[in-house]
Amino acid sequence: MLEIRGLTLRAGGRVLLQDLSLQVPGQGITALLGASGCGKSSVLKWLAGILPEGVQAEGEVLVDGQPRPTGDRLLAYQPQNDALFPWLTIAENAALGLRMAGVSAKLATARVLPLFAPFGLAGTEGLYPEDLSGGMRQRAAFLRTMVQERPFVLLDEPFSALDAVTRLKMQTWLLARLSATPRGGLLVTHDLQEAAALADRICVITAGHGVTLPVDMPHSERTEAAMAPLRETLKSLLLEECPP
Amino acid sequence: MLSRVLPPLALFALLFAAWEGYCRLSGVSELVLPGPSAVLRALYIHREAIGGHALATLLVAVPGFALSVSFAVLTSVALHFYPRAERAVLPVFVASQTVPLVALAPLMILWFGFGLLPKILLVILVTFFPVLLSLLSGYRQTPAAFRDLLRSMGAGRRQIFLRATWPSARGAFFAGLRISATYAIVATIFAEYAGARQGIGIWILAAKNSFRADLVLAAVLVSALLTLGLLGALRAIEALSARGPARRHHA
Repeated sequence: MLEIRGLTLRAGGRVLLQDLSLQVPGQGITALLGASGCGKSSVLKWLAGILPEGVQAEGEVLVDGQPRPTGDRLLAYQPQNDALFPWLTIAENAALGLRMAGVSAKLATARVLPLFAPFGLAGTEGLYPEDLSGGMRQRAAFLRTMVQERPFVLLDEPFSALDAVTRLKMQTWLLARLSATPRGGLLVTHDLQEAAALADRICVITAGHGVTLPVDMPHSERTEAAMAPLRETLKSLLLEECPP
Repeated sequence: MLSRVLPPLALFALLFAAWEGYCRLSGVSELVLPGPSAVLRALYIHREAIGGHALATLLVAVPGFALSVSFAVLTSVALHFYPRAERAVLPVFVASQTVPLVALAPLMILWFGFGLLPKILLVILVTFFPVLLSLLSGYRQTPAAFRDLLRSMGAGRRQIFLRATWPSARGAFFAGLRISATYAIVATIFAEYAGARQGIGIWILAAKNSFRADLVLAAVLVSALLTLGLLGALRAIEALSARGPARRHHA
């Protein structure tokens, strides 16, 4: 269990987020939902130890009840969009996290290559990011995150740059991948539908505070109609912050 | 390839034809303005002498340029890791660019003699700054997401530089090299003009003193060819060192 306790974020004297506490179980997805600029991406950056200089943070990170530093090796961070390096092949991109952890190029490649087929990337090993579609690039970025074998993954709006159809396909694909290799996922998104479709619990950031709602429904039963009440609740929570 | 070479060749042919036509129809003296055919004739007749001078110029310009690029790369890396130094040092480099070559070249000869050193120093002075500035601006083009990703993976500043910052600056680096390469030959000729035993600059000085406009223009043509040769070599290095999309761009 990854736990955030009493996180307050300030930027330029302004409080972005006040006293956020959040629990991310070791399996399934916890969504962090909020409007643009509410500080939700900064929560991930804080956890990953890469908070920009102008943002100050107070709060605690705990894993299984033990205090941990931010930027801990138990967390793998995936930035917004895919951040694949255009001068590296897909195999080299996927192996980047392992290389940074001190694994040799040969060994990192050997660990990455068998995962190309299960991640739907067979045949793309020697290609470059510009050769791949948006969905494929996201899969490659996700492979780069997952192969680091850290128990928690931090996903910053991974599907925001994709078209609607590809996004839906990728959401289904992500659920399948996470059930095959269980991790605790903290997903930042501004998309109500995405949070409702993917998450096992949703933390809505509203008026600088976090409100957590469990989503007790199997993914297979999450039809548009079944999720409508939840979406309405989420919408009203989000709109609290921005009166008309 | 042909579609890239043909338009400039056609434009050169057109300009030379207009120049030749003007010289023949206007009756202007060959001593004042020789046509391209007269220039090419002079170049052919004196090919061995000009060739020797061109080689001397190249032997100053190329090592000078190579040294300049090496210094620029080292300085850019140092300034990248110590941004405070950048704020102190950059104005000095900018000021160095405002010194007129016409004043500096004779002083260099006065201080360092007629050998290789003053000419190489002059080439470095002229070509160093554009490469340095391109590199520093290239480093700043590194996407923040690349740096964030590497930092989240535990990379240090050196690893971030090698993995993301340096490759991101590649395009800017070669743009700076191309700009500097065009200055390298001109700067060498300037240095030779101020005082040398051999080189295109000395050839131009001697030809001018003998009122041989055709030989001056022949030297101009040779210096243009030398610069084009240098640019061609750079393009080859850029293409050979490219990976992925950059390689395709050069194909």
